Amino acid sequence: MRASRRTRTATRICFATAIGVVMAAPLLLLLAGSVESVAQVDAATPQFIPSSFHFDNFVQGWNQVLTARAFLNSVIFVVFAVGIQWALCISGGLAISKMRFRGRTVTTSLFAVSLFIPIVTTAIPTFVVTNEFHLIDTYPGLIIPIAAQTGFGTLLFRQYIVTMPQELFDAARIDGAGWWLLLRRLVVPLARPATAAYLAISIITAWNMYLWPLLAASSAHVEVLSEIVAAIGQGDNFGYSVTQPQLFAATVITVMPVVIAFLFLQPAFVRGLTGSGVE
Amino acid sequence: MPEPLSESAGAPAVVAARSGGAARHRDGLPALFMLGPNVLLFTVFVGVPIVGALALSFCRWNLVGSPIWVGLDNYKQMFNDPIVGIAVKNTLYFVAMGVLPTVIISLGLAMLINFRFRGVIIVRSLYLVPAAVSLAASAVIWQYIYEPKFGLLSWLFVQVGLTPPINGFLGTQSWALVCLDVVCIWTTLPIGILLYLAALQRIPESVIEAATLDGAGWFRRARYVIWPGVSNMTLLVAIISLIAFTASGFDLVNILTKGQPIYATETLIYYIYNEAVNDFQWGYAAALSVLQFVMIVGILGLLAAARRFLVRQP
Repeated sequence: MRASRRTRTATRICFATAIGVVMAAPLLLLLAGSVESVAQVDAATPQFIPSSFHFDNFVQGWNQVLTARAFLNSVIFVVFAVGIQWALCISGGLAISKMRFRGRTVTTSLFAVSLFIPIVTTAIPTFVVTNEFHLIDTYPGLIIPIAAQTGFGTLLFRQYIVTMPQELFDAARIDGAGWWLLLRRLVVPLARPATAAYLAISIITAWNMYLWPLLAASSAHVEVLSEIVAAIGQGDNFGYSVTQPQLFAATVITVMPVVIAFLFLQPAFVRGLTGSGVE
Repeated sequence: MPEPLSESAGAPAVVAARSGGAARHRDGLPALFMLGPNVLLFTVFVGVPIVGALALSFCRWNLVGSPIWVGLDNYKQMFNDPIVGIAVKNTLYFVAMGVLPTVIISLGLAMLINFRFRGVIIVRSLYLVPAAVSLAASAVIWQYIYEPKFGLLSWLFVQVGLTPPINGFLGTQSWALVCLDVVCIWTTLPIGILLYLAALQRIPESVIEAATLDGAGWFRRARYVIWPGVSNMTLLVAIISLIAFTASGFDLVNILTKGQPIYATETLIYYIYNEAVNDFQWGYAAALSVLQFVMIVGILGLLAAARRFLVRQP
């Protein structure tokens, strides 16, 4: 009985590991391809394990495919879009959870409705609005319309702040603390887990975003990495001297920061998804 | 709620209501500062586009100059446009063939890895890592896998004695849309797995053990112990997948297939993008956006109905 149970567990572990390897296989193939030679990448039998390593692919991939400018643009986009949105969401979340004012319920419902409308459906009309402000192909035009998608974040913070004891707020109010002070001294520090959850989801989403940058920032000076990676996928070979493994290496450079961040932020990521008020 | 401060004994109810009302709205001004910037930006870049799309759908407009009112012309055009029919059909097929497998497979995999062993973190990471890979990067990877000559999939086909399609997987009408679905299922599965794992871990081990001791088999455990624990989560997984598949209907199509071959991968969102950006039919694109919006609301309604059906206790 005991032995058979142990065998069953061992089988299950092997099975789970095997399926896991299959799940990760496409990414492993990309990683392998990024350090292989052209001949290895084009071999008739797919090479999951490189027979020789060509790390200079990364140098060429960075210099000829990605640009420092695009990398910087991606960082600027993520930092400002997520940073501005975070500030809007945590203050808005405090307002709709602890403050009393006319129209609170309506505002909350509107945020909730917006959760179900994917940005892709509104991207074209949002482009029209942004264009009316003459912001296309500028940093503000790239950043602000995304920072303005506050539905998810505001509700996430609302869910969290609602559970903070009301007495805490009442006591501080009686002591004469203003709402602004409460936000900075009480809500922001206490809502740190919610902030982590929010950041885990928003940073990954923003870094990987494609349609909006394509619409709002297609010029070279504001172009972000996902547009370059998309061009690789579309078969753009970035000049004749660039090889397939170098294109893979460039893709790896754009993917690894979020992959590593994601592996560390997993628990926060789940809290963010489940805390979104739908469950 | 007690009403300690009502002075007038004559009409306590009225006073209570009035003072309750005043208390309810007492933070009006600070709330304006706290919530105002959020609501302002939200209105301009989320609210206005949605309402504006509806207005624009009754106009003809090439983005410069002022829109010309054309009444229902765009909607008439929509019904006579054969590509719209194809795009709607492709979109529904793409979403259904994406969301259903994602929900089912992610529940299965979550159950598979929901136990502790040495190295569980590493094994779980293998399952979860695709979630961080962007659709653009996934497109690069899967382009290589679907490559007709030396791609992994062609190689697998040959190994098991099948003939891979001559024009490549993405170049063959019957394969292209399914292949795009596979890419998006790959990036969406981890989110389903994470959510189901969170739900499964809330079912106490002792309950499952008790059921096993009482002689409940694999199916009965799944039906009466596990499903009630995860049925609520299923709606969330379905909604998140729905949104993911709506988005990938643009990203993957624009990168990998451009709607080809012969409209086999023409999705509604990709058609909208083309009508606006390449054909300058912004009014028509707005009308199509309204259609897309109605479709999503319809699918969400179906999900909500399915939830009422599925979550009912046995």
